[in-house]
Amino acid sequence: MSHAKFESMLQKAIDTRMNEISRRGLLRNAAIAGGSMAALGTVGFAAAQDATPADDAATEEAPFADGAEVANYALTLEHLETAFYRDGLAELGVDGFTALGFQPGVFDRLSEIGAHEAEHVVALTGVVESLGGEPVAEAVYDFGYTDAAGFLQVAQALEDTGVSAYQGAAQYLIGAPEILTAALTIHGVEARHAAYIALLNGAVPFPEAVNPTLTPAEVLEIATPLIVG
Amino acid sequence: MNAIHEQRTLGRAGGPAHQRMMAIQTTFADDVEVLNYALTLEHLEAAFYQLAGDYELGTDPYGNNINEYVTVVGEHETAHVDTLTAVITELGGEPVAASEYDFGVTDAASFLGTAAVLENVGVSAYDGAGQFIQNADLLTAAGSIVAVEARHAAYLNAVTGESPFPAAFETPLTPDEVLEAAGPFIVPAS
Repeated sequence: MSHAKFESMLQKAIDTRMNEISRRGLLRNAAIAGGSMAALGTVGFAAAQDATPADDAATEEAPFADGAEVANYALTLEHLETAFYRDGLAELGVDGFTALGFQPGVFDRLSEIGAHEAEHVVALTGVVESLGGEPVAEAVYDFGYTDAAGFLQVAQALEDTGVSAYQGAAQYLIGAPEILTAALTIHGVEARHAAYIALLNGAVPFPEAVNPTLTPAEVLEIATPLIVG
Repeated sequence: MNAIHEQRTLGRAGGPAHQRMMAIQTTFADDVEVLNYALTLEHLEAAFYQLAGDYELGTDPYGNNINEYVTVVGEHETAHVDTLTAVITELGGEPVAASEYDFGVTDAASFLGTAAVLENVGVSAYDGAGQFIQNADLLTAAGSIVAVEARHAAYLNAVTGESPFPAAFETPLTPDEVLEAAGPFIVPAS
């Protein structure tokens, strides 16, 4: 294949992915109308609602009061991911993925991802507690998929969102080097997960030279509709 | 670090690594120095992927042409070099230049193995240095690069038979540890 053709293919793949697995796509796929702002309460910060995507966060009022709130924000997402893999993999089983033509090892890899998310929950719970905060609990979620293929599409959206969320929140940990470094070491693993899921979905594992960043408000717009109780 | 790292940093010719690392910063007086540290590694990676066309890398387990994907990785590293160079210049700093490198690559397998090492070390380097960045926008920018390095690392691990995500947490490396890993690839100026 020529380089030009590859670039064209790559761009098409990126465009397709941006359209199909974008956060807006996820909102549609989730098919949940009841994502009330009440769920924001579980996240533990309020000012984020005032931010808009175009805001330069550095010049706006910080969306987090302290490091515990940043950690709780991350913990909210890790709970969501943990429940997604734990329940989804139990429900779909290895057969759900071999039926798509994957080797059984793919299920094991997905299980590893789920185990990582659970470890992140444990670590972040400890961070919140060590900072004197109250760790958020797991909620009830509806991810809106009906089969293994749909599961992998949602997995992509969750992992991509997770990477972008850590990136957007890291700046609020400047001055807390140990917590910042801990967050960065999770961030990289989420990016690895995202790349692997992309391979499974036939997408480019590294679609851009610079990974998109999402503000807390943007992340909440994605995650809140998935939280149903 | 993982086994790949250990394997690839041992047995390199050319003397103790610490004697070959003059080009890399080991302490950070300010954000510009952190960015120059990152730029040093990005130069190394960008130069490395210039070799990609020399080897027939085959097809990955997901049906993708590895040469094509590695070419994309190389383009990303070049973009990172350009971005970091521009930012350092904008901040009034002096961007480090590329060095001479010797990657010791002899075939497709060693190319991919070295690529995996560079990417995994790159992630660890950014993770170790992030805490030294004081400016919020720069930290976010560094985060947007390291995420891509982690995506590269996952892919290269996958094509070299390693887990794309060997642990639940990345291993942050200090500058000294990164030098231990990357220094042997840098040919000292004579």
